Amino acid sequence: MIKILFFGSLGDASPTLEVAMPSSVSTIEGLALWLSKNKGIPEKLLLKKGNRVAVNKKIISGTVPLKDGDEIAFMSPLSGG
Amino acid sequence: MGILRISTSELNPEIEHRSFRDEVNGVGAIVAFTGIVRGDDPELTLTLSHYAGFTEKQIIKIATNAEKQIIKIATNAEKRWSITNWRIIHRVGIMLPNEPIVFVATSSRHRRDSFESADFLMDYLKSEAPFWKSEKSSGQVRWIEPRVQDFKDKKRWEE
Repeated sequence: MIKILFFGSLGDASPTLEVAMPSSVSTIEGLALWLSKNKGIPEKLLLKKGNRVAVNKKIISGTVPLKDGDEIAFMSPLSGG
Repeated sequence: MGILRISTSELNPEIEHRSFRDEVNGVGAIVAFTGIVRGDDPELTLTLSHYAGFTEKQIIKIATNAEKQIIKIATNAEKRWSITNWRIIHRVGIMLPNEPIVFVATSSRHRRDSFESADFLMDYLKSEAPFWKSEKSSGQVRWIEPRVQDFKDKKRWEE
């Protein structure tokens, strides 16, 4: 299973998901494509410029391999204070 | 090591200031900043959400950078300040106009270090801390994203 969280405006697109690791998915880009096809969350929205992605509570950049048990967070631009 | 608290309970800056002053007893200088929900629209409710566990981790990283001056800046950057302590209290959940959202305080032997480090912390909290703000007014909800100015403010420390 993998856990996928959505924060900020992306939270409007989907609640937190817990799904079996799709066999076709090995990267964030692959997961975004899978979410787009299977959950109706547009890939472009997930990977929009300014968004950030964290895997297991660590911001990632570039291609990071995903594995079963990971917690993935798609985050829209941060706005604290 | 300072204190970080993220909480849905009401934030009382006066109590925080007093308790911070007691903690840093006799240090020389304290600068404290309080962010307040703007009262332009009395009907407004603001909701701030965070990513439990991750938000705390990121803020501790920012505050540690403030202590150690490890920020991604031009190579020959000099140490700009020396702080003795810091405190960051951030509210999350639903807030109304005029309620405090954030309290940031730093202490140092001399005033300039406290002014600059508190300013640094706020700039980074604005654009690097995992919080998401939405406003609800007249039944309409809208997400607030960082302004261009927020990024410019942060960039000042990296030049």
